[in-house]
Amino acid sequence: MKIALTLIHWAFVLTMPVLLVGVVNRTKSWWVGRKGPQLHQFAFDLRRLLGKRPVISTTASPLFRAGAYVVLICGLLAASMIPVLGQFAPLQFSHDFIVVAYTLGLARIVLMISAMDVGSSFEGMGAAREASFSAYAEPALFLLIGTACAATGMSSFADLIGQLHTTPHYAIIVAPLVLALLILLQAEAARVPVDDPMTHLELTMIHEVMILDHSGPELAAMQYAAALKMTLYAGLIAALLNPFSPLSDPVAGIAASLALMLTVAIVVGCIESLTARLPMRWVPAYLMIASVAVLGSMLVIGFGAGSV
Amino acid sequence: MNQLTLAVFVLMLGAGLCLLPASNTIRAGIGLVTQAVATLVAWSVVIPVLFGGPDITGEMPWAYPIGELHFRLDALGAFFLAWSLPMTLLGSVYAVGYMQKYFRSPRHLGVHFALLNMISVSFLLVYTGEHAVTFLFGWEIAALAAWLLVIWDYSNKKVRFAGFNYLVSTHIGLIFLVAAVMILYSRTQSWFLDDYGDWLRQNPGALRNTVFLLLVTSFGLKSAFFPFHSWLPRAHAAAPAHVSALMSGVIHKAGLYALVRFLLLSGKPDEWMGWFLIAFSVTSALVGGLYTVGQRDLKRLLGYSSTENVGIAGIGFGIGCLGLTWDSPALVAVGFGGGLLHVLNHAFFKCQLFYAAGCVYQVKHVVDVERLGGLFRLMPVTAVCFIVGGVAISALPPFNGFASEFMIYSGLFGNHGTGMWAKLALCLVAAALAFVGAVSALSITRAFGVIFLGNARDASLPEGHEASRWMLVPMAIHALGTVVLGVAPMLGFAVVAAPTALFMHGMPESVATGSLQSTMDILVRIGAISGGLLLAVVLVTWWRFRSGKSPAPRQDATWGCGYGAPNTRMQYSGASFSTDFAKNFRNIMVLIKRRKAPAGYFPADAYVITDCVDAVERRLYSVINHGDETATDVSRKMQEDDSRLAFSAGLAALVLIAALVLLAEGVLP
Repeated sequence: MKIALTLIHWAFVLTMPVLLVGVVNRTKSWWVGRKGPQLHQFAFDLRRLLGKRPVISTTASPLFRAGAYVVLICGLLAASMIPVLGQFAPLQFSHDFIVVAYTLGLARIVLMISAMDVGSSFEGMGAAREASFSAYAEPALFLLIGTACAATGMSSFADLIGQLHTTPHYAIIVAPLVLALLILLQAEAARVPVDDPMTHLELTMIHEVMILDHSGPELAAMQYAAALKMTLYAGLIAALLNPFSPLSDPVAGIAASLALMLTVAIVVGCIESLTARLPMRWVPAYLMIASVAVLGSMLVIGFGAGSV
Repeated sequence: MNQLTLAVFVLMLGAGLCLLPASNTIRAGIGLVTQAVATLVAWSVVIPVLFGGPDITGEMPWAYPIGELHFRLDALGAFFLAWSLPMTLLGSVYAVGYMQKYFRSPRHLGVHFALLNMISVSFLLVYTGEHAVTFLFGWEIAALAAWLLVIWDYSNKKVRFAGFNYLVSTHIGLIFLVAAVMILYSRTQSWFLDDYGDWLRQNPGALRNTVFLLLVTSFGLKSAFFPFHSWLPRAHAAAPAHVSALMSGVIHKAGLYALVRFLLLSGKPDEWMGWFLIAFSVTSALVGGLYTVGQRDLKRLLGYSSTENVGIAGIGFGIGCLGLTWDSPALVAVGFGGGLLHVLNHAFFKCQLFYAAGCVYQVKHVVDVERLGGLFRLMPVTAVCFIVGGVAISALPPFNGFASEFMIYSGLFGNHGTGMWAKLALCLVAAALAFVGAVSALSITRAFGVIFLGNARDASLPEGHEASRWMLVPMAIHALGTVVLGVAPMLGFAVVAAPTALFMHGMPESVATGSLQSTMDILVRIGAISGGLLLAVVLVTWWRFRSGKSPAPRQDATWGCGYGAPNTRMQYSGASFSTDFAKNFRNIMVLIKRRKAPAGYFPADAYVITDCVDAVERRLYSVINHGDETATDVSRKMQEDDSRLAFSAGLAALVLIAALVLLAEGVLP
């Protein structure tokens, strides 16, 4: 059972990045009335990049090339602990969410260092934005986990996300928590309205500008890692909403998880089609909405504990 | 005990011999040899105590009014001694490289090495002192020696000022400590810390709370907690790199030692003490972290990050206090264990970062981030040591900072049988800690990216090259420690297990060992994950870079968006990196911008200089200046030969003293 779930988890984590990017792009195309690329177009792009000979800046240090792989490895390590299917993760132990957050933190610092490495002011600008926006996003994630932790009394990521819908105030707190996670997804996976992956103006990019000088297999690693990060957050949202536990009801749980993740991708695509990227100076305020939403659900739990 | 006395004797002898008329090389040699001997001798007793051996006590008769001096080496003191002495030795080794140009000059280097020996002596006194006077005496030796070490470059006015600032601040801290000791003495009629402990355990109430606050203030000043940190950035920027490293990583840990010692003595704390300690420490971590963002001077930046890291360790101690109050052994284990482990880890990576800054200063003669750049290719060892330390200080895996912060976090998210609000409050603390982590990642990326990556910004600086081996070896040893304690945090925890167990002496044996064991198990897992991550990174990088396979990448210019004439000054600078973030916190950080905008059709000279100054220090000086003016004003208005004024002042003093005596009725013996 565990082995089967582990295999399914990895199958999800490894293939969903391609599918989710495809779904987001399809949704955006649909809104503008185009047919849009195939759902697995991203896989073709990655294969094309893997076959290319990279071009590297003369300024770059050896850290530059290694950086892309560190980012990818960190993403995969985090993926092994994030419960995309609900109450299950291949690597599960108490307080594993701290490892998840800090592994993704390592990926981020390495990404920023690779960006600074080529000595371009565009990439420095991207790194500075990434660093400062993540400082606003990080507390929201910890508040969210802490809230779930206090509500369920569990200590591992999979348990506290999976058990949350058995708590008395689930119906009230789920909406703010999903909102917070969606905002975190937009920030961490560089989606509109925080960042626009499709823009071609260096001055307004965050994630894409940091990987401007990457090419070939290194670029593939970076792009895959970014899509993986979106998958992980989409998976978290799915797990939060998923009413079935993969342990007791595997088929329904996995199907619901798949459907929810695709829904998240469609929602992300719709938001991207219907809104514009926020001005940079408003992004911190937008990210604070996530923290405020979680604080609200904390209050619900705090007062609820007194009355129950 | 004999070995410790011998160590003190060897160090003092070495300090004395360093002052003899001989060549600077011989003096430095004497300093290093005596430090090494003293370290080994002290280790021979410290190590057994650290791993569960019995305490070592010693007595020494002394003249009236001090009487008998008592020394005791227990696991807590042993833990601090075990790394303080060898790290001071490494600092002295680094000093040989850093001070190289003075070896052939008429400057007397012996004094410097003698003072480094005295620092080690002060550790032996403070960490074993059982008698309040030896404790204070060791405290004072450390303060004076550190002051004299800071003002090595005394011909520079700024350095003298920084030193004086430090000296004054550390003595203000001493006043609070003396006040606390006076209260305790008036109550117990004793000079022994054990008796103070008995009194503190038995008399909870207003007076104990006062003592607690006085002690926290004093130790906060020593360890540079916010808002008592204002001396720190100046002192760190002015001192030679190894002195900054030792001050930040080792010497000021005495403040945390004393805090933990008094917490240990005073038994079960009130609940508010734990919360107070957490709030005080979180503020320190937040403000210290924010201030690292805007600094131009690399050593000032590292100085502020000390404020941040003592705050993080303090959060651990606060959790431990709550654990004591709530009778939760698991919380005591992760709180005090995590705090002490963070102290050890911080000593490793902070010294390493300061040593790297010293290497940069040695070859480039500046540590201003805005003028450096592109040092990675010229100083690869220094750069790698810096980034290893930087990743560790941002508490990221796979290095040691992560292990200790993981323990502290697991205390914050712990499942202790307390109210929901307490849980949620600790969760807010965790969010603050996450913010601090992200901020320190920002400032480390900024410092590393601007100094070591990209291209050199200022061609007028000397050509870069790797610094002398005397400096690289201590730095590399620290880096090795950072990595080893990262992938094997259980080694670090094995060292802090005995001091943590001291806090659980009131609990049943099986509960205490059980909670320590479960913490150990968690750390084994963390070590495995960190080790696996490091291994995976090394393997993939090796696989990708092994020669002979896929064609080597083509080299080309950095993407310039079509601009064909880039100049290295166009790279993103430190100020541009931090301004966007710092702007949002301008109430806390004072950003000073001096600018001259380009004017006219052919603008010639234009500049923007952004600098981040300390808000507390500015406020302090404005208050002092203000007070100074008021005092001058008052003394000008008073006629000093007016006998009425003299009599009324005398009467007021008498009334005040009488009132104090009446108020203190029963307190005085």
